[in-house]
Amino acid sequence: MKRSHQETSVEEVHSMGKKLEDDNNMDEFLSALGYKVRSSDMADVAQKLEQLEVVLSNDDVLGSNALNDTVHYNPSDLSSWAETMLSELNYYPPSLDLDPTRICNLTPFSDDNECSSTTSDNSSKRIRLGPWCDSSESTRPVVMLGVDSQETGVRLVQALVACAEAVHQENLILADALVKRVGPLAASQAGAMGKVATYFAEALARRIYRIRPSSPAVDPSFEEILQMHFYESCPYLKFAHFTANQAILEAVATARGVHVIDLGINQGMQWPALMQALALRPGGSPSFRLTGVGGPSEGDGIQQLGWKLAQLAQAIGVEFEFKGLTVERLTDLEPEMFETRPESETLVVNSVFELHPLLARPGSIEKLLATVKAVKPSVVTVVEQEANHNGVVFLERFNEALHYYSSLFDSLEDGVIIPSQDRVMSEVYLGRQILNVVAAEGTDRIERHETLDQWRKRLGSAGFDPVSLGSDAFKQASLLLALSGGGDGYRVEENDGSLMLAWQTKPLIAASAWKVSDVTAEWRR
Amino acid sequence: MKRSASNSVTNGDASNKKMKKTTEEDSEIGFANLDENLLYEVLKHVDARTLATSSCVSKIWHRTAQDERLWELICTRHWANIGCSPHQLRFVVLALGGFKQLHSLYLWPLSSPNQHGRLGKDELKLSLSLLSIRYYEKMNFTKRLP
Repeated sequence: MKRSHQETSVEEVHSMGKKLEDDNNMDEFLSALGYKVRSSDMADVAQKLEQLEVVLSNDDVLGSNALNDTVHYNPSDLSSWAETMLSELNYYPPSLDLDPTRICNLTPFSDDNECSSTTSDNSSKRIRLGPWCDSSESTRPVVMLGVDSQETGVRLVQALVACAEAVHQENLILADALVKRVGPLAASQAGAMGKVATYFAEALARRIYRIRPSSPAVDPSFEEILQMHFYESCPYLKFAHFTANQAILEAVATARGVHVIDLGINQGMQWPALMQALALRPGGSPSFRLTGVGGPSEGDGIQQLGWKLAQLAQAIGVEFEFKGLTVERLTDLEPEMFETRPESETLVVNSVFELHPLLARPGSIEKLLATVKAVKPSVVTVVEQEANHNGVVFLERFNEALHYYSSLFDSLEDGVIIPSQDRVMSEVYLGRQILNVVAAEGTDRIERHETLDQWRKRLGSAGFDPVSLGSDAFKQASLLLALSGGGDGYRVEENDGSLMLAWQTKPLIAASAWKVSDVTAEWRR
Repeated sequence: MKRSASNSVTNGDASNKKMKKTTEEDSEIGFANLDENLLYEVLKHVDARTLATSSCVSKIWHRTAQDERLWELICTRHWANIGCSPHQLRFVVLALGGFKQLHSLYLWPLSSPNQHGRLGKDELKLSLSLLSIRYYEKMNFTKRLP
């Protein structure tokens, strides 16, 4: 009878798993029953069944949390296994002690009369999964096999770090073996951790096989789309823009004319809000001139952007002028290009995530900062990622990045508020950064994030002094986060006059403002 | 009420044809049939929730309750003064989508947690910023360079 056969075979799994561990074929014994399990997976399967047995032998099965936090195994491997298992189980009476039945359906079988009569087609399987999903408190709608996901999460991180260590030691054979193991482990982990791990695994693989992603490897308009989705789905960019704008407004409070140089114009999303604030300034709006700097790939787009902003300016009654500057690199910028009008305009330089790519080439950042200093801005607003992804030691970089992007992805997990397309695109956007941090080297590696303290040193030695961001900026930022969902995860932190946006106490973005050092003060140094 | 009395007199006397012609200002006694101007005056004094609900009562009420001036009152009534003139504010907000939108999209979500409905300068500034971004995002840009 199938039943007894089934029982014995499951018991055999425990011993069989260990014997056939090295065999890469499908396990013959189980496949005879219609279970397609790779023998290399047998040990894991056996272990899980043992664990499940232990858990389910406790009386409070349905309340057990271990069953709620579950793992979705690599679908390509196990879905067929699960399906065949489900179809097999249709023939089993509820009193079967062994757990394969309980794996699939936690509600007492006696309630579920459909079981015995279900056929093995897909729709009936879904019916069976349905009640189970409802009865468990888990919100995840996938087939769950009862294993503690936290434990697999830890194992996943360990595997990633082990692989990174191997890469760091240039032991590429070991690294290769390890990265192959990480892949399925990552796929089996649900949630943010799984996604992050998948990107890091891919990045490690690229590094091992020396597939260097060239930058930009992708259509720039695609890059823009990604950034737009990232803008919509989480408050990081908005925080950056609003905080920088606040600093700008404070600096130009009494100016008759304002000239902003944006070192990375992108979609110009920062400027409507600033223009609106200028339009509502007590005493009337100043004239507003914007010089937007972009790369050669953006081309015509910059001019169109300028027209769009001009239309907005006209609608709200702000005198507006726009100029687009297209340069290959920011170091190509020269002070004359900006055509500053110091007698009638207060100058502001704005950089949101534009400084760190310059660190890829020695001397670049110094040149740019010298150019910025030369145009004599009243304030320079700088927003950068708060992380050290520019360390010389690969392993340190890797660990930092893993920690950082795990937090970022975690903050995106609030799927209730974020439309899933936005979130997916944001993940792709961040994923590309991960690939760059881990797999690229030399001038290709442009995601060279540095912490606020490091930037402070750089800006300090380039001749800039910090300007404290006022309490208004803090309040605005707090309100923005309150509106952005994500519950209580987001926090604004004040750090010596600068603001940081943190997710669950890990700072992720830092915004600061700077002015050119007083010349006389410099002499005294 | 004098008004309803005159209405009922009209009802009693008028022929069917006449009744059909004057259906709008007609006959039904009731609050729901207030003159638009009177309605406007009344709605000047209600709070946001009431104003929003009023627009669901009837077509006339809907038309009146959508009036930007009423929503401007709602928005500015409890505001801290952000320093600009009302004229300036009106000009900018109307250009960016109007007070009703400003309120429903941003001011209302920002104020519901604290029930006392007081909106500070910061909530206001943030809402205005978000409104302008929304306007910008929705701009159908048609003018292109050759």
